[in-house]
Amino acid sequence: MIDPVCKMSVDAPRAAAQSTYKGQTYYFCAVGCKQKFDREPEKYLAGGSSPMSASAP
Amino acid sequence: MATRTFAVRGMHCAACVGKVERALRAVPGVDEAAVNLATERAAVTWDDARADAPVLAAAVAAAGYELAEAPPPRAPGAAGDDPEQAARAAEQARLRRRMIAGGALSIPIVVGSMRELFPWAPAWLANPWTLLALATPVQFWVGAEFHLGFLRDLRHRSASMATLVSLGTNAAYVFSVALMLGPHTFMAAGAMPYFETSAVVITLVVLGRWLEARARGRTSQAIRRLVALAPRTARVLRDGVDVDVPTSDVIVGDLVRIRPGERVPVDGTIVEGASAMDESMLTGESLPVEKTPGSTVFGGTVNRTGSFVFRAARVGADTTLARIVRLVEDAQASRAPIQRLADRVAAVFVPVVLTIAAATFAVWLAFGPSPSFVYALTNAVAVLVIACPCAMGLATPTAIMVATGRGAELGVLVKNAESLEALARVDAVVFDKTGTLTLGRPTVTDVVPAAGVAEEDVLAFAAGAEQGSEHPIGEAIVARANERGLGLPPITEFTTVPGQGIDALASEGRLLLGNRTLMQARGVEIAPLAARADALAAAGKSLVYVVLAFRPLGVIAVADALKPHARAVVAALRGRGIDVTMLTGDARRTAETIAREAGIGHVLAEILPEDKAQTIRNLRAGGRRVAMVGDGINDAPALAQADVGIAMGSGTDVAMEAAGLTLMRGDLRGVVAAVDLARRTLRVVKENLVWAFGYNVVLIPVAAGLLYPLWGVLLSPILAGAAMAFSSVSVVTNSLRLKRWQP
Repeated sequence: MIDPVCKMSVDAPRAAAQSTYKGQTYYFCAVGCKQKFDREPEKYLAGGSSPMSASAP
Repeated sequence: MATRTFAVRGMHCAACVGKVERALRAVPGVDEAAVNLATERAAVTWDDARADAPVLAAAVAAAGYELAEAPPPRAPGAAGDDPEQAARAAEQARLRRRMIAGGALSIPIVVGSMRELFPWAPAWLANPWTLLALATPVQFWVGAEFHLGFLRDLRHRSASMATLVSLGTNAAYVFSVALMLGPHTFMAAGAMPYFETSAVVITLVVLGRWLEARARGRTSQAIRRLVALAPRTARVLRDGVDVDVPTSDVIVGDLVRIRPGERVPVDGTIVEGASAMDESMLTGESLPVEKTPGSTVFGGTVNRTGSFVFRAARVGADTTLARIVRLVEDAQASRAPIQRLADRVAAVFVPVVLTIAAATFAVWLAFGPSPSFVYALTNAVAVLVIACPCAMGLATPTAIMVATGRGAELGVLVKNAESLEALARVDAVVFDKTGTLTLGRPTVTDVVPAAGVAEEDVLAFAAGAEQGSEHPIGEAIVARANERGLGLPPITEFTTVPGQGIDALASEGRLLLGNRTLMQARGVEIAPLAARADALAAAGKSLVYVVLAFRPLGVIAVADALKPHARAVVAALRGRGIDVTMLTGDARRTAETIAREAGIGHVLAEILPEDKAQTIRNLRAGGRRVAMVGDGINDAPALAQADVGIAMGSGTDVAMEAAGLTLMRGDLRGVVAAVDLARRTLRVVKENLVWAFGYNVVLIPVAAGLLYPLWGVLLSPILAGAAMAFSSVSVVTNSLRLKRWQP
């Protein structure tokens, strides 16, 4: 799993926080990253690494 | 309106109290005046536009007493020099001296007077002059307080035990002296001296007074302990440097720094830093209260683990703690002494006896054999002599003593006799909630696992994260897990998230423990548990969600649980005709949940300490006789205000000092036991009075001469002595029956 905000590698069960957006679940290394993501999810999902979920867009 | 407590001098009985109160209330502008005889204080409330202290003092002076400034309360640290304590000790010593002297002199008098019973007694002992020499100090030194009391009663046109004792023993003594000086005059009537009767009566009544003085207990230290709650020094920021100053030097606007574990010196508002405070002294609330900049902190409360700086807003006599001290002082000042039951009986008895004596004199004078004057005098005196029961002074103190001892064996500590008497007459009991009806600390009440999760796992993971926590909720969870003997999973990377909960790491993943805020912050979906969680929250419980690797394991509900037996105790009190009310500073929802569980219908919640005392005052003003049961500092004013205060031994020292009874084990069943013991004791006191007066009353007709026409029988010292002996033994034996009382 990669944290969409800070791009760090995250082990899902040990993640600090999670968010669900458009049916996908994303994991974060810290609460601050989740807060940023929740405010502007599109910004962090567009361009660059995609979240590690089964179907890639 | 101004309210102040003054010292009053010159009072010595309940009638004086009435005169001072009436004098004060008659001053225009005075709203309320409550005078206390024991503490020699008057608590006065008046409109300071219409009256002032000199005017009040003048009114009291016109009534014949003195109003003065009350001496300031003792400063913290001033040990031992307690004037009231010294006064009590002196009184006890005085009575003990007299009692021993009375006993030492009475024995030879009895032996000498009754040589028929003691043939070995030397002749000189039976000599009237010897008896006179022995009896005189007993009559006038040991018995002095009764003669003075008789004169006081005369002035107030009332009667008490003192009147009865003085009349009876003086009649016996004077008559015996007259007999001694003119034996032939009285020979016809077969009169005999009664020196031993007067001596023994006086000695036994003084014995009773001594026992009562001992049973009156020591002065309440509640005020002293309250004052000691505020630290004596404070760390103030002066010119950017921390300076330790005496608390009394802190002024409004000063910046004060508090470190972890310290007590706050004065009231104020936090300007920098944050922490959690233990405010149980004010609210009784067992959970720490979070404080941030802008929050109010109170003097006397304890800081937990954070540090902060606050600006002093209320200092000295304006702090919340000082207000509580004043409330307790005012409550203690307004206590009225319970009139002795024996005095009330005597008050009725004396006029009856005087009437019978007068009638006896008249009848014998008119119809008696000659010398009819001699017969009349002898028999009238005999009526007075026999009408003075020696055991009446023992009736109350012996019962109280045995009851107090038995109470102590059962875990009910009775601090003074009047508390036990007051409890016997109580018809309303008010319970504090936290720490009194409840355990006073949170315990786990519900564990709700999510679907597919075992209850043990919810608890085990939660306890694993909370190990070593000093927070009451954490302690509760660990305690429950230990109770169930659960093995705890290894937990690492433990972090406290203030206001939210705990963030830790288990081998399976991140372990989150906390409230809804934490769940939202981490994005945990707890909807499946929402229904159960909402129901628990509605009952005022604190919720702890347990989440492992973003999967909710369950929710744990924590609340301050009702003590065992609470429900049964409330029902038992109702069954005894006592109304039960709950009074608490805590939130309404929590209060109502607990009240429902306990079966209490009448609940008053979110009540401040001063309003607790006011509630008690209102109940008493409505004619109820109220017992207050509490354990916290915030209960002290109410405990002092009630007819009788009952403190939980598991609670604060301040509460135990403010109350008249303490339940050593904090077990609520002690309340019922105490009430039953008190009622039984009052019954025993009444029985004792019957025994004390009974034998003598039966002999009054004999003394008056009713048996003379039949059998020529008149009163003799032997008969009087027999009555004394039987009544004393009956009273003591009856009191000793309390030793075997079972709750």
